[in-house]
Amino acid sequence: MKITKAMYLMSSMKLRKARQKLSDTEPYFFALEEEITDILLHFPALEDVFFDNRSEDKRETVKHRAYIVMTADKGMAGAYNHNVLKRTQQLLNTLKQQYGDDKERENRLFVVGELGRAFFRGQGYPIEPDFFFSANNPTMHRARQITGRIMDLYVGEELDEVFLIYTRMVNSMKETVEVERLLPLKTSEFVRKEIQDKIDQGLLNPEVIDEKDDWYLFYPTPRAILEKLVLNYLTGFIYGAMVEAHASEENARMMAMQSATDNAQLMLNELSVEYNRVRQAAITQEITEVISGAKALKKKKEAMKKG
Amino acid sequence: MKTFRLRVLACDRVFYDGECRMLIFPSFDGEMAVMAGHERMSTAIEVGEIRFQDEKGEWQSAIVSDGLLKVEKTKVSLLVYSAERPDEIDAFRAEAAMERAKEQLSQQQSIVEYHISRANLARAMARLRGAGKHMPDA
Repeated sequence: MKITKAMYLMSSMKLRKARQKLSDTEPYFFALEEEITDILLHFPALEDVFFDNRSEDKRETVKHRAYIVMTADKGMAGAYNHNVLKRTQQLLNTLKQQYGDDKERENRLFVVGELGRAFFRGQGYPIEPDFFFSANNPTMHRARQITGRIMDLYVGEELDEVFLIYTRMVNSMKETVEVERLLPLKTSEFVRKEIQDKIDQGLLNPEVIDEKDDWYLFYPTPRAILEKLVLNYLTGFIYGAMVEAHASEENARMMAMQSATDNAQLMLNELSVEYNRVRQAAITQEITEVISGAKALKKKKEAMKKG
Repeated sequence: MKTFRLRVLACDRVFYDGECRMLIFPSFDGEMAVMAGHERMSTAIEVGEIRFQDEKGEWQSAIVSDGLLKVEKTKVSLLVYSAERPDEIDAFRAEAAMERAKEQLSQQQSIVEYHISRANLARAMARLRGAGKHMPDA
């Protein structure tokens, strides 16, 4: 119980730090997302490697998919790791059913966090070698390295699609596993449709789309911006996801440790009640024995006197 | 003088959010400036120093990493990985980072690693430049 309590305190401290980091990045993260949508809306129909739909090209039957999976370095975090891993397995399994067994080789797993790596290795999934990133204390540097690696493979056409699987903290009681496609980018028509859907649902103001049809200057060229944008977007998104995942992890661990402490406390209470009861029973029995022994002796003496 | 709203967002904080008269930033082909009433524009910014005049007319500066700049009708947002005031920069750390990046560059490495090291070097040098200019004369 000392241990779980100590771990609870530690993760609550770490959670506070992670939360701070999360709220620090949020303005950047949201602005980035907004900007991406905005730019994509205005983007002229470019033929570019980042839009090209290799993923939907029917002629090329083998698709190379990458999954970046965010797990924790350590366990003891309730269902946190389990949920992410289960979701990933589910995804891989549906693909397996769709395309048959041999396509599994075309899925590459980029796992962040020691626990996830150990899990997939143990299950015999092909995980990427030399992809060792810790899930603890996310830094921009790490996000940059991951992005560099992914971009290199993507531009080199070794990957057709890139997905990111991470945990988002909805509130302190609820966490959900999110699957997001990072690459290729959504095309302008697609974004437009998404926004239209939101307008139809009454979530957005219809003016948004009119205003967004205005002419827009890209300096120097759309293509040059796109290059920067993709890097920024990926790095920003991966960093954001790492921070989210880390906060979720500490939150999950804190709750798990809380309930472990509670359970231990409950068990202790039950056990001490039982102990007291047993002790009381033993004492009562002893007293009864002593009394009955004394009574027997008394009776014997009386009998002797009479006799 | 007319002003516009400027937001400088770094990945770990909101660096600046307020009125601004003019913003000067490093673009791919030299420095560019934006004033109120600029046309809508989206552009990329390079590693270097940005300067902006707040509504009182005082110049402020920051060392930024590369990122994106978006000019809208009434506001300008700047999205960068990092933004620091010159006096926040730890010259020793920047120097160490520069040495490290140089050392890495001199070794055989993959293209990705090369780009990362080069970007690291650029950032370290921008920091040092920014810090040096504002350091009191020894």
